[in-house]
Amino acid sequence: MSLRIVPESNPSSSFTHQPSRAHVAPSAPGLHDTLRAGLGANPLTTPATQAISAHPLEARLKQWEATREQLKMETLRRTYGIAEPVRRGMELKITREGTWKPLALGGSTPSIHEEILTGRDGIIEWEDVFTGEENGAHISVHEEIERKVKM
Amino acid sequence: MPGFDFSNYNRNAALHARGVPLPKATSTGTTIVGCIYEGGVVIAADTRATSGPIVADKNCEKLHFISPNIWCAGAGTAADTEFTTALISSQLELHSLSTGRKPRVVTVMTMLKQHLFRYQGHIGAYLVVAGVDPTGTHLFTVHAHGSTDKLPYVTMGSGSLAAMSVFETQWKSKLTQDEAVKLCADAIEAGIWNDLGSGSNVDVAIITPEKTILKRNYIKPNERTQKLKSYVFPKGTTAVLNEKITIRKQDIGNFVSISDLTEAETGDKMEVDT
Repeated sequence: MSLRIVPESNPSSSFTHQPSRAHVAPSAPGLHDTLRAGLGANPLTTPATQAISAHPLEARLKQWEATREQLKMETLRRTYGIAEPVRRGMELKITREGTWKPLALGGSTPSIHEEILTGRDGIIEWEDVFTGEENGAHISVHEEIERKVKM
Repeated sequence: MPGFDFSNYNRNAALHARGVPLPKATSTGTTIVGCIYEGGVVIAADTRATSGPIVADKNCEKLHFISPNIWCAGAGTAADTEFTTALISSQLELHSLSTGRKPRVVTVMTMLKQHLFRYQGHIGAYLVVAGVDPTGTHLFTVHAHGSTDKLPYVTMGSGSLAAMSVFETQWKSKLTQDEAVKLCADAIEAGIWNDLGSGSNVDVAIITPEKTILKRNYIKPNERTQKLKSYVFPKGTTAVLNEKITIRKQDIGNFVSISDLTEAETGDKMEVDT
Protein backbone atom coordinates (compact mmCIF):
# COMPACT_ATOMS: atom_id res chain seq x y z
CA MET A 1 0.00 0.00 0.00
CA SER A 2 1.35 3.39 -0.98
CA LEU A 3 1.20 6.68 0.88
CA ARG A 4 0.23 8.68 -2.20
CA ILE A 5 -1.02 12.20 -1.31
CA VAL A 6 -2.57 13.22 -4.66
CA PRO A 7 -3.74 11.04 -7.56
CA GLU A 8 -1.33 10.05 -10.30
CA SER A 9 -1.16 12.63 -13.08
CA ASN A 10 -1.60 10.20 -15.98
CA PRO A 11 -2.86 6.80 -14.95
CA SER A 12 -3.53 5.36 -18.43
CA SER A 13 -0.32 4.51 -20.25
CA SER A 14 -1.74 2.47 -23.11
CA PHE A 15 -4.11 3.26 -25.93
CA THR A 16 -5.77 0.96 -28.41
CA HIS A 17 -7.58 1.81 -31.61
CA GLN A 18 -9.15 -1.64 -31.70
CA PRO A 19 -12.89 -1.62 -31.00
CA SER A 20 -13.70 -2.90 -27.56
CA ARG A 21 -15.10 -6.45 -27.38
CA ALA A 22 -18.25 -5.27 -25.63
CA HIS A 23 -19.56 -3.11 -28.47
CA VAL A 24 -19.26 -5.22 -31.60
CA ALA A 25 -22.06 -6.69 -33.64
CA PRO A 26 -22.29 -10.47 -33.10
CA SER A 27 -22.58 -11.01 -36.84
CA ALA A 28 -19.36 -9.07 -37.62
CA PRO A 29 -17.10 -9.29 -34.54
CA GLY A 30 -14.27 -7.19 -35.99
CA LEU A 31 -16.38 -4.10 -36.69
CA HIS A 32 -17.26 -1.26 -34.39
CA ASP A 33 -21.00 -0.90 -33.86
CA THR A 34 -22.04 2.67 -33.07
CA LEU A 35 -25.61 1.60 -32.31
CA ARG A 36 -24.28 -0.54 -29.48
CA ALA A 37 -21.38 1.63 -28.35
CA GLY A 38 -23.16 4.99 -28.46
CA LEU A 39 -21.62 8.30 -29.47
CA GLY A 40 -19.16 8.50 -26.59
CA ALA A 41 -18.88 8.03 -22.89
CA ASN A 42 -22.24 8.60 -21.22
CA PRO A 43 -21.98 10.33 -17.83
CA LEU A 44 -25.06 8.45 -16.62
CA THR A 45 -23.72 4.96 -17.31
CA THR A 46 -20.00 5.49 -16.68
CA PRO A 47 -18.87 4.53 -13.16
CA ALA A 48 -18.27 7.54 -10.90
CA THR A 49 -14.54 6.86 -10.61
CA GLN A 50 -13.94 6.61 -14.37
CA ALA A 51 -13.20 9.67 -16.50
CA ILE A 52 -15.45 10.40 -19.46
CA SER A 53 -13.19 12.96 -21.15
CA ALA A 54 -9.52 13.41 -21.95
CA HIS A 55 -9.32 16.46 -19.71
CA PRO A 56 -6.36 16.05 -17.32
CA LEU A 57 -8.29 17.54 -14.41
CA GLU A 58 -11.21 15.13 -14.57
CA ALA A 59 -9.27 11.96 -13.77
CA ARG A 60 -7.57 13.81 -10.90
CA LEU A 61 -10.84 15.03 -9.38
CA LYS A 62 -12.54 11.65 -9.74
CA GLN A 63 -9.71 9.87 -7.92
CA TRP A 64 -9.11 12.61 -5.39
CA GLU A 65 -11.40 11.43 -2.60
CA ALA A 66 -10.39 7.80 -2.99
CA THR A 67 -6.68 8.66 -2.86
CA ARG A 68 -7.10 10.82 0.26
CA GLU A 69 -9.21 8.13 1.90
CA GLN A 70 -6.62 5.48 1.09
CA LEU A 71 -3.83 7.62 2.54
CA LYS A 72 -5.83 8.17 5.73
CA MET A 73 -6.65 4.50 6.15
CA GLU A 74 -3.08 3.42 5.44
CA THR A 75 -1.76 5.88 8.05
CA LEU A 76 -4.30 4.59 10.58
CA ARG A 77 -3.35 1.00 9.79
CA ARG A 78 0.33 1.71 10.38
CA THR A 79 -0.41 3.55 13.63
CA TYR A 80 -3.13 1.41 15.25
CA GLY A 81 -3.16 -1.81 13.26
CA ILE A 82 -5.66 -3.20 10.80
CA ALA A 83 -8.53 -3.07 13.31
CA GLU A 84 -8.89 0.70 13.04
CA PRO A 85 -9.50 1.01 9.26
CA VAL A 86 -11.71 -2.09 9.39
CA ARG A 87 -13.84 -0.58 12.16
CA ARG A 88 -14.17 2.69 10.28
CA GLY A 89 -15.07 0.95 7.05
CA MET A 90 -17.66 -1.11 8.91
CA GLU A 91 -19.23 1.96 10.53
CA LEU A 92 -19.40 3.68 7.16
CA LYS A 93 -21.01 0.64 5.55
CA ILE A 94 -23.61 0.35 8.31
CA THR A 95 -24.41 4.06 8.00
CA ARG A 96 -24.70 3.92 4.22
CA GLU A 97 -26.99 0.91 4.25
CA GLY A 98 -29.02 1.88 7.29
CA THR A 99 -30.10 5.38 6.30
CA TRP A 100 -32.67 6.33 3.74
CA LYS A 101 -32.98 9.88 2.53
CA PRO A 102 -35.96 11.04 0.45
CA LEU A 103 -35.18 12.22 -3.08
CA ALA A 104 -36.75 15.57 -2.21
CA LEU A 105 -33.85 16.13 0.22
CA GLY A 106 -31.21 15.02 -2.29
CA GLY A 107 -31.46 11.21 -2.18
CA SER A 108 -28.06 10.16 -3.50
CA THR A 109 -25.98 12.80 -1.68
CA PRO A 110 -24.22 11.55 1.48
CA SER A 111 -26.32 11.68 4.64
CA ILE A 112 -25.26 13.83 7.60
CA HIS A 113 -24.16 10.69 9.53
CA GLU A 114 -21.92 9.60 6.68
CA GLU A 115 -20.48 13.10 6.39
CA ILE A 116 -19.62 13.11 10.10
CA LEU A 117 -17.84 9.75 9.79
CA THR A 118 -15.84 10.88 6.75
CA GLY A 119 -15.08 14.25 8.36
CA ARG A 120 -16.84 16.24 5.64
CA ASP A 121 -19.62 17.76 7.74
CA GLY A 122 -17.70 21.04 8.10
CA ILE A 123 -16.70 21.28 4.45
CA ILE A 124 -18.58 22.86 1.56
CA GLU A 125 -17.29 22.19 -1.94
CA TRP A 126 -18.41 22.68 -5.55
CA GLU A 127 -20.04 19.24 -5.39
CA ASP A 128 -22.25 20.39 -2.49
CA VAL A 129 -23.44 23.42 -4.45
CA PHE A 130 -23.79 21.86 -7.92
CA THR A 131 -25.21 18.47 -6.99
CA GLY A 132 -26.04 17.51 -10.57
CA GLU A 133 -29.71 16.98 -9.66
CA GLU A 134 -30.85 20.46 -10.66
CA ASN A 135 -32.86 19.25 -13.65
CA GLY A 136 -33.90 15.84 -12.36
CA ALA A 137 -37.56 14.85 -12.10
CA HIS A 138 -39.15 16.12 -8.91
CA ILE A 139 -40.71 13.25 -6.95
CA SER A 140 -42.60 14.15 -3.80
CA VAL A 141 -41.94 12.33 -0.52
CA HIS A 142 -45.45 10.77 -0.50
CA GLU A 143 -45.05 9.48 -4.04
CA GLU A 144 -41.66 7.98 -3.21
CA ILE A 145 -42.87 6.18 -0.06
CA GLU A 146 -45.96 4.90 -1.86
CA ARG A 147 -43.68 3.43 -4.49
CA LYS A 148 -41.33 2.06 -1.83
CA VAL A 149 -44.04 0.19 0.10
CA LYS A 150 -45.89 -0.74 -3.13
CA MET A 151 -49.19 0.97 -2.34
CA MET B 1 -22.99 14.35 -12.06
CA PRO B 2 -22.06 16.56 -9.12
CA GLY B 3 -19.37 19.23 -9.38
CA PHE B 4 -17.65 20.14 -12.62
CA ASP B 5 -19.08 18.65 -15.80
CA PHE B 6 -16.56 17.42 -18.36
CA SER B 7 -19.02 15.71 -20.71
CA ASN B 8 -18.61 18.30 -23.49
CA TYR B 9 -14.81 18.48 -23.30
CA ASN B 10 -13.99 15.90 -25.97
CA ARG B 11 -16.55 17.40 -28.36
CA ASN B 12 -15.25 20.95 -27.78
CA ALA B 13 -11.64 19.85 -28.26
CA ALA B 14 -12.55 18.14 -31.56
CA LEU B 15 -14.45 21.24 -32.73
CA HIS B 16 -11.53 23.47 -31.74
CA ALA B 17 -9.16 21.30 -33.76
CA ARG B 18 -11.40 21.99 -36.78
CA GLY B 19 -11.19 25.74 -36.26
CA VAL B 20 -14.20 26.62 -34.10
CA PRO B 21 -13.09 29.19 -31.51
CA LEU B 22 -13.46 28.19 -27.86
CA PRO B 23 -15.76 30.29 -25.66
CA LYS B 24 -13.95 33.03 -23.74
CA ALA B 25 -14.17 33.62 -19.99
CA THR B 26 -14.48 37.15 -18.67
CA SER B 27 -11.18 37.90 -17.00
CA THR B 28 -10.54 40.81 -14.73
CA GLY B 29 -7.23 41.95 -16.23
CA THR B 30 -6.61 43.73 -13.07
CA THR B 31 -4.50 45.70 -10.65
CA ILE B 32 -4.96 44.63 -7.03
CA VAL B 33 -2.68 45.65 -4.17
CA GLY B 34 -2.39 45.25 -0.40
CA CYS B 35 -0.25 46.99 2.20
CA ILE B 36 0.25 46.51 5.94
CA TYR B 37 0.47 49.61 8.14
CA GLU B 38 0.77 50.23 11.88
CA GLY B 39 -2.44 48.77 13.29
CA GLY B 40 -4.12 47.27 10.24
CA VAL B 41 -4.02 46.44 6.57
CA VAL B 42 -5.31 48.13 3.41
CA ILE B 43 -6.29 46.40 0.17
CA ALA B 44 -7.31 48.17 -3.03
CA ALA B 45 -8.45 47.25 -6.54
CA ASP B 46 -9.42 48.86 -9.83
CA THR B 47 -12.93 48.25 -11.24
CA ARG B 48 -12.52 47.23 -14.87
CA ALA B 49 -13.55 43.77 -16.11
CA THR B 50 -12.34 42.81 -19.59
CA SER B 51 -13.30 40.10 -22.04
CA GLY B 52 -10.50 40.01 -24.59
CA PRO B 53 -10.25 43.53 -26.05
CA ILE B 54 -13.71 44.52 -24.77
CA VAL B 55 -14.40 46.21 -21.45
CA ALA B 56 -17.16 43.99 -20.04
CA ASP B 57 -17.88 46.03 -16.91
CA LYS B 58 -16.64 49.53 -16.09
CA ASN B 59 -17.43 49.42 -12.40
CA CYS B 60 -17.21 45.84 -11.14
CA GLU B 61 -16.33 44.94 -7.56
CA LYS B 62 -13.11 43.04 -6.99
CA LEU B 63 -12.95 43.26 -3.19
CA HIS B 64 -14.69 40.18 -1.80
CA PHE B 65 -16.02 39.53 1.68
CA ILE B 66 -14.62 36.48 3.48
CA SER B 67 -15.49 37.32 7.09
CA PRO B 68 -16.02 40.69 8.82
CA ASN B 69 -12.28 41.05 9.48
CA ILE B 70 -10.90 39.20 6.46
CA TRP B 71 -11.29 40.48 2.90
CA CYS B 72 -9.99 39.29 -0.42
CA ALA B 73 -9.07 41.06 -3.66
CA GLY B 74 -9.37 38.92 -6.77
CA ALA B 75 -7.72 38.91 -10.22
CA GLY B 76 -8.01 36.32 -12.97
CA THR B 77 -11.26 34.77 -14.21
CA ALA B 78 -14.06 36.90 -12.75
CA ALA B 79 -16.51 34.06 -12.07
CA ASP B 80 -13.82 31.91 -10.46
CA THR B 81 -12.66 34.61 -8.02
CA GLU B 82 -16.27 35.42 -7.16
CA PHE B 83 -17.35 31.82 -6.55
CA THR B 84 -14.16 30.61 -4.88
CA THR B 85 -14.23 33.43 -2.33
CA ALA B 86 -17.94 32.82 -1.66
CA LEU B 87 -17.27 29.10 -1.15
CA ILE B 88 -14.31 29.71 1.17
CA SER B 89 -16.35 32.31 3.06
CA SER B 90 -19.06 29.70 3.72
CA GLN B 91 -16.51 27.07 4.67
CA LEU B 92 -14.77 29.48 7.03
CA GLU B 93 -18.06 30.27 8.76
CA LEU B 94 -18.70 26.52 9.25
CA HIS B 95 -15.14 26.14 10.53
CA SER B 96 -15.40 29.00 13.02
CA LEU B 97 -18.76 27.66 14.27
CA SER B 98 -17.15 24.24 14.74
CA THR B 99 -14.08 25.56 16.57
CA GLY B 100 -15.90 28.37 18.39
CA ARG B 101 -13.14 30.87 17.62
CA LYS B 102 -12.76 33.89 15.39
CA PRO B 103 -11.45 32.84 11.96
CA ARG B 104 -7.72 33.21 11.30
CA VAL B 105 -6.26 34.64 8.10
CA VAL B 106 -3.83 31.71 7.79
CA THR B 107 -6.86 29.38 7.83
CA VAL B 108 -8.33 31.20 4.84
CA MET B 109 -4.99 31.15 3.06
CA THR B 110 -4.55 27.40 3.68
CA MET B 111 -8.12 26.61 2.59
CA LEU B 112 -7.64 28.64 -0.59
CA LYS B 113 -4.29 27.10 -1.52
CA GLN B 114 -5.47 23.55 -0.86
CA HIS B 115 -8.63 24.16 -2.88
CA LEU B 116 -6.78 25.77 -5.80
CA PHE B 117 -3.96 23.20 -5.81
CA ARG B 118 -6.54 20.45 -6.20
CA TYR B 119 -7.82 22.07 -9.41
CA GLN B 120 -4.28 22.55 -10.82
CA GLY B 121 -4.76 26.15 -11.95
CA HIS B 122 -7.91 25.42 -13.97
CA ILE B 123 -9.74 27.64 -11.49
CA GLY B 124 -8.14 30.95 -12.48
CA ALA B 125 -8.30 32.78 -9.17
CA TYR B 126 -5.35 35.00 -8.23
CA LEU B 127 -6.09 36.48 -4.82
CA VAL B 128 -4.76 38.92 -2.24
CA VAL B 129 -5.94 37.83 1.21
CA ALA B 130 -5.80 40.45 3.97
CA GLY B 131 -7.17 40.49 7.47
CA VAL B 132 -6.78 41.16 11.16
CA ASP B 133 -7.32 38.31 13.63
CA PRO B 134 -6.37 37.73 17.29
CA THR B 135 -2.83 36.73 16.20
CA GLY B 136 -2.19 40.01 14.36
CA THR B 137 -2.32 41.61 10.94
CA HIS B 138 -1.73 39.40 7.91
CA LEU B 139 -1.35 39.87 4.17
CA PHE B 140 -0.98 36.99 1.69
CA THR B 141 -1.18 36.39 -2.03
CA VAL B 142 -2.52 33.12 -3.44
CA HIS B 143 -1.82 32.11 -7.04
CA ALA B 144 -4.15 29.95 -9.11
CA HIS B 145 -1.84 26.93 -8.87
CA GLY B 146 -1.81 27.09 -5.08
CA SER B 147 1.45 28.86 -4.25
CA THR B 148 1.37 31.59 -1.62
CA ASP B 149 3.46 34.57 -0.51
CA LYS B 150 3.57 36.54 2.71
CA LEU B 151 4.88 40.09 2.30
CA PRO B 152 4.34 43.56 3.84
CA TYR B 153 3.12 44.93 0.50
CA VAL B 154 1.84 42.90 -2.45
CA THR B 155 0.47 43.49 -5.95
CA MET B 156 -1.23 41.10 -8.37
CA GLY B 157 -2.89 41.04 -11.77
CA SER B 158 -1.83 42.44 -15.13
CA GLY B 159 -1.10 45.87 -13.61
CA SER B 160 1.01 44.43 -10.81
CA LEU B 161 4.28 45.68 -12.31
CA ALA B 162 3.07 49.27 -12.51
CA ALA B 163 1.66 49.07 -8.98
CA MET B 164 4.79 47.43 -7.58
CA SER B 165 6.96 50.25 -8.97
CA VAL B 166 4.98 52.70 -6.81
CA PHE B 167 5.41 50.51 -3.71
CA GLU B 168 9.12 49.97 -4.36
CA THR B 169 9.79 53.72 -4.56
CA GLN B 170 7.42 55.06 -1.88
CA TRP B 171 6.87 52.31 0.71
CA LYS B 172 8.41 52.70 4.17
CA SER B 173 8.24 50.40 7.15
CA LYS B 174 6.15 52.58 9.51
CA LEU B 175 3.10 53.88 7.69
CA THR B 176 0.04 55.57 9.17
CA GLN B 177 -3.42 54.58 7.97
CA ASP B 178 -3.84 57.64 5.75
CA GLU B 179 -0.38 57.14 4.21
CA ALA B 180 -1.15 53.47 3.51
CA VAL B 181 -4.49 54.32 1.86
CA LYS B 182 -2.79 57.02 -0.23
CA LEU B 183 0.01 54.63 -1.22
CA CYS B 184 -2.42 51.85 -2.23
CA ALA B 185 -4.62 54.28 -4.20
CA ASP B 186 -1.53 55.66 -5.99
CA ALA B 187 -0.40 52.14 -6.85
CA ILE B 188 -3.85 51.31 -8.29
CA GLU B 189 -3.85 54.57 -10.24
CA ALA B 190 -0.47 53.61 -11.72
CA GLY B 191 -2.17 50.40 -12.89
CA ILE B 192 -5.22 52.27 -14.19
CA TRP B 193 -3.13 54.60 -16.36
CA ASN B 194 -0.33 52.25 -17.47
CA ASP B 195 -2.08 48.90 -17.86
CA LEU B 196 -4.73 48.41 -20.53
CA GLY B 197 -6.41 45.63 -18.57
CA SER B 198 -7.07 47.93 -15.61
CA GLY B 199 -9.13 51.08 -15.50
CA SER B 200 -12.07 53.07 -14.15
CA ASN B 201 -12.18 53.66 -10.39
CA VAL B 202 -10.27 52.78 -7.22
CA ASP B 203 -11.89 50.64 -4.50
CA VAL B 204 -10.24 50.58 -1.06
CA ALA B 205 -10.87 48.44 2.03
CA ILE B 206 -9.26 49.39 5.35
CA ILE B 207 -9.19 46.50 7.82
CA THR B 208 -8.52 47.31 11.48
CA PRO B 209 -8.97 45.09 14.57
CA GLU B 210 -12.26 46.88 15.34
CA LYS B 211 -13.91 47.09 11.94
CA THR B 212 -13.54 47.09 8.18
CA ILE B 213 -14.22 50.23 6.15
CA LEU B 214 -15.00 49.52 2.50
CA LYS B 215 -14.57 52.64 0.38
CA ARG B 216 -16.25 51.78 -2.90
CA ASN B 217 -15.14 54.15 -5.71
CA TYR B 218 -12.68 55.92 -3.38
CA ILE B 219 -11.17 57.78 -6.37
CA LYS B 220 -13.02 58.27 -9.66
CA PRO B 221 -10.37 59.52 -12.10
CA ASN B 222 -12.39 58.51 -15.18
CA GLU B 223 -15.64 60.40 -14.60
CA ARG B 224 -17.64 60.66 -17.83
CA THR B 225 -17.83 64.33 -18.82
CA GLN B 226 -20.60 66.22 -20.59
CA LYS B 227 -20.31 65.92 -24.39
CA LEU B 228 -19.27 69.14 -26.16
CA LYS B 229 -22.23 69.01 -28.53
CA SER B 230 -25.74 67.81 -27.89
CA TYR B 231 -27.11 65.38 -30.44
CA VAL B 232 -30.74 65.74 -29.33
CA PHE B 233 -32.78 67.04 -32.30
CA PRO B 234 -35.49 69.67 -31.65
CA LYS B 235 -39.11 68.61 -32.17
CA GLY B 236 -40.29 69.05 -35.75
CA THR B 237 -36.91 68.32 -37.35
CA THR B 238 -38.42 65.50 -39.37
CA ALA B 239 -41.19 66.54 -41.79
CA VAL B 240 -44.64 64.94 -41.30
CA LEU B 241 -45.67 63.19 -44.52
CA ASN B 242 -48.94 61.68 -43.48
CA GLU B 243 -51.16 62.09 -40.46
CA LYS B 244 -54.05 59.93 -39.36
CA ILE B 245 -55.98 60.33 -36.15
CA THR B 246 -57.51 57.19 -34.71
CA ILE B 247 -60.08 57.58 -31.96
CA ARG B 248 -60.53 54.60 -29.72
CA LYS B 249 -64.06 53.57 -28.82
CA GLN B 250 -63.73 54.42 -25.13
CA ASP B 251 -62.38 57.91 -25.95
CA ILE B 252 -65.23 58.84 -28.30
CA GLY B 253 -67.07 60.59 -25.45
CA ASN B 254 -64.38 63.30 -25.52
CA PHE B 255 -65.40 64.37 -29.03
CA VAL B 256 -69.19 63.76 -29.28
CA SER B 257 -71.88 63.74 -26.63
CA ILE B 258 -73.74 60.45 -26.41
CA SER B 259 -77.03 59.91 -24.65
CA ASP B 260 -78.84 56.56 -24.53
CA LEU B 261 -82.48 56.72 -25.67
CA THR B 262 -85.25 55.18 -23.60
CA GLU B 263 -87.56 52.58 -25.10
CA ALA B 264 -90.47 55.04 -25.49
CA GLU B 265 -88.32 57.52 -27.44
CA THR B 266 -87.05 55.00 -29.96
CA GLY B 267 -90.55 53.79 -30.90
CA ASP B 268 -89.12 50.33 -31.46
CA LYS B 269 -91.21 48.69 -28.79
CA MET B 270 -92.86 45.49 -29.93
CA GLU B 271 -96.60 45.74 -30.09
CA VAL B 272 -98.15 43.00 -28.08
CA ASP B 273 -101.86 42.10 -27.95
CA THR B 274 -103.25 42.48 -24.49
